[in-house]
Amino acid sequence: MTVGAASISRPVRERASRGLWRDAGRRLLRNGPAIVGLVCILIFVVGALLAPVLSSYDPSVGKLVDRMKPPSPAHLMGTDLLGRDEFARVLYGARLSLQLGTISVVFGLFFGIVIGAAAGGLGGKVDALLMRIVDVLLAIPGILLAIGIVAWLGRGQIQIMLAVGVSYTPIFARLLRGSLLALREADFVLAGRSIGASRLRLLVRHMLPNALTPLIVQATLALATAIIDVAGLGFLGLGPGDPRRTSSSSRRPPSSSAPSASTSWATGCARPWTRG
Amino acid sequence: MLKYIVRRLIGAIPVLIGLSIILFLFVRLLPGDPAIAILGQHATPALILQVHQSLGLDLPIWVQYIDYVGGLLHGDFGASFINGRPVLEDFLLRFPATIELTVAALIFAVGLGIPLGRLAARHPNGWIDGIVTVISLFGISVPIFVLGYTMVFIFAVQLHWLPATSQIDARLQLPLVTNFVVIDAILAGRPDALVDALKHLVLPAIALGSIPFAIITRITRASVLDVTNEDYVRTARAKGLTEKRVDSRHIMRNAWLPVTTIIGLEVGGLLGGAVITETVFSWNGVGSWVVDAIQNHDYFVVQSSILIFALIFLVVNLVVDIGYAFLNPRIRYA
Amino acid sequence: MALLEVEGLLVRFRTHDGTVYAVNGVSFQVDEGETLGLVGESGCGKSVTSLALMRLLPKPAGRVEGGHVRLDGTELLDLSEAEMRDLRGRELAMIFQDPMTSLNPVLTIQEQMVETIRAHTELTAAQATARAVELLGTVGIPRPETRLKAFPHEFSGGMRQRVMIAMALALHPRLLIADEPTTALDVTIQAQVLELLRALTAEARTAVILITHDLGVVAGMTRRINVMYAGYIVETAPTAELFAHPSHPYTVGLLHSIPRLDAPEGEPLIPIEGTPPDQRHAPVGCPFAPRCAWRLPACWTTNPPLEPLVPGTPVVLTGDRATHRVACLNLPTAEEAEAGMPLRDGFVAAPAPGSVVDELATAEVPA
Repeated sequence: MTVGAASISRPVRERASRGLWRDAGRRLLRNGPAIVGLVCILIFVVGALLAPVLSSYDPSVGKLVDRMKPPSPAHLMGTDLLGRDEFARVLYGARLSLQLGTISVVFGLFFGIVIGAAAGGLGGKVDALLMRIVDVLLAIPGILLAIGIVAWLGRGQIQIMLAVGVSYTPIFARLLRGSLLALREADFVLAGRSIGASRLRLLVRHMLPNALTPLIVQATLALATAIIDVAGLGFLGLGPGDPRRTSSSSRRPPSSSAPSASTSWATGCARPWTRG
Repeated sequence: MLKYIVRRLIGAIPVLIGLSIILFLFVRLLPGDPAIAILGQHATPALILQVHQSLGLDLPIWVQYIDYVGGLLHGDFGASFINGRPVLEDFLLRFPATIELTVAALIFAVGLGIPLGRLAARHPNGWIDGIVTVISLFGISVPIFVLGYTMVFIFAVQLHWLPATSQIDARLQLPLVTNFVVIDAILAGRPDALVDALKHLVLPAIALGSIPFAIITRITRASVLDVTNEDYVRTARAKGLTEKRVDSRHIMRNAWLPVTTIIGLEVGGLLGGAVITETVFSWNGVGSWVVDAIQNHDYFVVQSSILIFALIFLVVNLVVDIGYAFLNPRIRYA
Repeated sequence: MALLEVEGLLVRFRTHDGTVYAVNGVSFQVDEGETLGLVGESGCGKSVTSLALMRLLPKPAGRVEGGHVRLDGTELLDLSEAEMRDLRGRELAMIFQDPMTSLNPVLTIQEQMVETIRAHTELTAAQATARAVELLGTVGIPRPETRLKAFPHEFSGGMRQRVMIAMALALHPRLLIADEPTTALDVTIQAQVLELLRALTAEARTAVILITHDLGVVAGMTRRINVMYAGYIVETAPTAELFAHPSHPYTVGLLHSIPRLDAPEGEPLIPIEGTPPDQRHAPVGCPFAPRCAWRLPACWTTNPPLEPLVPGTPVVLTGDRATHRVACLNLPTAEEAEAGMPLRDGFVAAPAPGSVVDELATAEVPA
């Protein structure tokens, strides 16, 4: 019998895989909307990181003489009603948004992984108890939970990040626990147990790396909403260093409007990118 | 089916208990002393002790909890530190406004979201789909307050089409019976008040409903697309049924399922978002009340509002779960 | 005139990644009451052909780009969607491979059967329901009146397929297309369902196109068989004749791939080398050439048409006396078909023109 020969028609151009990251990069570059989102995010992040370089103005200091000026070469986005440079406020606001949003998600992931791993890894009574607590936390809608926690802990950057982080914890915990429960019956876990691996080692070395995937996806999506949530808290006057409101009848637009504007940019860019 | 409902109800009890404990602890474990908050500058040790006794803060904590739960069951949710009135009373006064806003937002989100999602699914990757995608992206990305103020700026300040704040023009002098402005306008037989009230609802409802609208649109689109590619839709077509029938009985009946679940979850988001929306539009509901209460350390108000919101959320999800079991026969017997 | 006449059917799928040439000029006919088997491996175009006949190709990618399909003289490809819809279920019916997913999970069997009946007749709901009960009884579902109210997930796989058959035959269609009706079922149930199908269609004189990759299934059920490969019909013959004298190298390969209980011990299984072709490219030459042990240099460039096995025989398209036709330039002899490999001295399958394999091709012809 002869060897089966290749078809004589035009061969399909398949490139060999050259490593996980390069494959991912190639897939990203082929996706139009993803590139747009990526560019947006890069502009945003670079702007935030290089804020002191890109703008010489102090975002919180303004000369009343300069108030409400339209955009000009001196003030690229004009000034606000206290004479502060808007462009600087947008840049520094972007910084703040990114910082607070990212760290909130990190907090949420931390608590979520600890709780989820304990519940999924230990099972039994621990699992039941932890999940009841998670259920209770889930019963309170996200923003309200964050508001409640800020009310409890007081104002401040750390408090906000903790509050928003904790409001995401139940979701992460649930997700991780679910993956771990499914993995417990996986063959490679049984194999590990049969050669005497300890539960901790199985959990950390074998199960967690596999179970983290849905969490990573959820965390990237959460990053976008965390930025919005943090902005929302700021808007309500619960943000770091906001002036105290004394009366309930007068509600003026908050002075932290610049971070809010950059917030919209941030989340608008984050969405297509995380989807792509 | 009945067993399913009973099981769900029983399952909700530990959550309620846990919720009450957490919220109870929320107030008790607060930094700072509520007595000082009340007394302000007049605080002396003797007066503080008096306030503690009158608030029952000197009793052992588990006694306080029993009192608290007992009070809850009797409708005693504590009193406001600021004006001394029972929390429940003020809550019931302001709650209808929040409900009106939330329901309006939900109607907007579902009423516009589902048809748009279906439309996008009918011509996937076409220009209609593109526009719908952009709109829903916009809805998710823009924070409620940014959207709210922008709309106010455009529609109220510049164009004068719609009002900027409140539920109704005070000059109309509508007598409030139920505190549901729309219903009261109907009851009083005042079409002018009704129209005015509805106009006041438009912008806040859109602002609040923007996120659920976006999500519902996306989910509906995805769900309809998934179902359209299922084998049983092909069978239905092979039987020679009209496209309308295939669409309504086969596609939509199955596509509804994930959408209803999402709607239940989004109600929670609506309750939270109401807080922000009411602030933006100076809406006299529970949301703005809670924000003020937090500023003023009026903790019973905060605690009770969160408790009731959570309760509503639980009930809504219960109803959605039961409705889902009704729509999806496969899980009725699980 | 035959009940169904298919001529030169061309089906392509236009996608972002290119065009898939699914069906490349298929022609056949089916008489009233005749059961035709359509055999081939996955991807050879048999399901796509049947979907094309019903005009149920997935839109917008799937398109019929040429050919004719005539049912009782009416050109199906020219009909409007509304006219086609009228025919579906009533004159033309189809049952699908996976009964698990082919029934709507949220509707009862009653709702699904009654809607079919009422879509094409004037019966009232009560009459349609009565008819549905009757049909369920015919296909062997016990206590049909109660079972009507059940949901699809409450039935077993075999029962579900019976329900599908009942629905398909409800309005006495002239032609039934059965796309791998038993592939998803257990072997014991397969026999039951096939027997049911045979009995019902024989009684009603329904023509059947039975699509499968399982030669065992067609052996007992069909009068004629079309063997398909890469969107072409490569051989067609009455069933008994095909099994007795398989002629196309692909058919030969198929029959030799089946392990047999009565084969002498130690006799090797002879698989067909290579993999099915990538149908994203317009076909050049005989589609089976890359895998054929009998190929000549001409096979790479010429696609042979279907011609009678015995040259010069008048062509009869349907019935027990249909002409045995093969599309091949270098037919295996009877002995070679028996052995499953070329037996000619020094014969080497022609290597692909201009490819590196030239050097690697060696002929190992066992004595």
